[in-house]
Amino acid sequence: MSQAIAQWMDSMVRLGRLFRQTFTSVLKGSLRRRRSQLIVQMYEIGNKSVLFITATLSILGMISVFQVLKQVEKIVPDFSMIGPAFIQMMIREFGPTITGLMIATRVGSGIAAEVGSMVVTEQVDALRMSNAKPVDYLVAPRFVACGIQTMMLSIYGVVVGVIAGSITAYVFWNISFGMFLRFDLVQWGDVVSGLLKALAYGFTIPIVASQAGLETKGGSEGVGAATTRAVVNASFAVVILDLLLSGFSYLVLYG
Amino acid sequence: MIVFQDIYKRFGKKEVLRGVSLNVPKGKIQYIIGTSGAGKSVLTKHLVGLIRPDKGRVLFDGRDITDCTEQEYFEVRRRVATVFQHATLFDSMTMAENVALPLRKHRGCKQKEALERAMEFLKQVQMADYAHRYPSDVGDGLRKRVAIARALTMEPEVVIFDEPTTGIDPLAAANVDQLMRHLSEQMTVTSIVISHDLRSIFRVADRVAMLYKGRVLLEGTPEEFRNTTNPVVRQFINGDAEGPMEFPGVGR
Repeated sequence: MSQAIAQWMDSMVRLGRLFRQTFTSVLKGSLRRRRSQLIVQMYEIGNKSVLFITATLSILGMISVFQVLKQVEKIVPDFSMIGPAFIQMMIREFGPTITGLMIATRVGSGIAAEVGSMVVTEQVDALRMSNAKPVDYLVAPRFVACGIQTMMLSIYGVVVGVIAGSITAYVFWNISFGMFLRFDLVQWGDVVSGLLKALAYGFTIPIVASQAGLETKGGSEGVGAATTRAVVNASFAVVILDLLLSGFSYLVLYG
Repeated sequence: MIVFQDIYKRFGKKEVLRGVSLNVPKGKIQYIIGTSGAGKSVLTKHLVGLIRPDKGRVLFDGRDITDCTEQEYFEVRRRVATVFQHATLFDSMTMAENVALPLRKHRGCKQKEALERAMEFLKQVQMADYAHRYPSDVGDGLRKRVAIARALTMEPEVVIFDEPTTGIDPLAAANVDQLMRHLSEQMTVTSIVISHDLRSIFRVADRVAMLYKGRVLLEGTPEEFRNTTNPVVRQFINGDAEGPMEFPGVGR
């Protein structure tokens, strides 16, 4: 047990170190000469996730609204606040967190597999031999690209989920779009909390996945293990960050 | 002169090196042979700090470099080039950009100047026509040539060749042998070559060391290897399936 805790602590220290190195690399302007890499990564992480996020968030929006209305109609006949409450939850919680979890699986696995393959084929060693820092070339572009795109996709995910929810409410309960699509309950704190979460997930996922990739050992088996580790750790990181940032939001943003 | 002194290295439960000691003379071609998993690549990576030993010392030109920081190893890596087993060209860069990378990073050359010089090195390995192609466009043999060009850009004092002739045709392999001989004789470059290619070993090696069970089993000239009575070395050189040799991971 104590050994497992020591290993976990050690891995947290390494994660913190990689985060610091990446942040320093970005601040030092390592991406200035790698703008094309940044654009490629933004396309890979963001554009290629659009369909995935559209499908996931719209289905989630439909199911959530359907389930809530089904329960509410048993208690009260008034559906007027369902839309505003749903929109608030999407902005504050579901939009960024579900998007974060989806990015953790799709992007996290991709980053770990790509970096892990570079490790086992000695490309990372070759970078170090060329006096180039692997963090500058491999982690920094993914870090910035994922941070920006997760935020964009979260905003998009909220829009998609809310539209899907409002259509469900209209089709099954004849709730008008005017009644559903109201922002009465949304406060600035909800928007800030949602964006903060999206940004935190977006910056954490590539670090966790890159660490898994950079620590790959062995051949293709090692790459498989690194990919699994990346998805599990990145998803777990999203959940833990959600807990921490939700707590922070309730204490600070909502007073 | 490169000295590996009593090097131990363990990865998890697997002890790869168990006290390897080896002296590599300056300007010579030193082959390191052994079965797959014997720790040949692991040993050479200690020289450039890609792997740090659990125990033992590494000396380069009389200086103990074992405890150098990553920053301090840049100086060593400027003098010691590596041609990796998988060629390790970066997929996102053209051949010319790959060769230019060490020039930009180690020498601080501007991109244009680095690319011009990269072209000269590509010409040396007959790859100038492929300068603007990507590594994925060509086969292993051609990629390896570009990797050699990249290693030579820094005009190194030592070149580590990790299985340089594996996966390439016999003529290209002979070219690589010739290049190593040229580097050694004309430019006093020390070559450390990891190889299973026996034909190549007996053609160009000055010294040969065989790693077995994490230690140096035999070190000497190719002639000494040819005439040895050690049954394990004989089995390896003759390529016999039956014999006293134990393979890594078996029987542990």
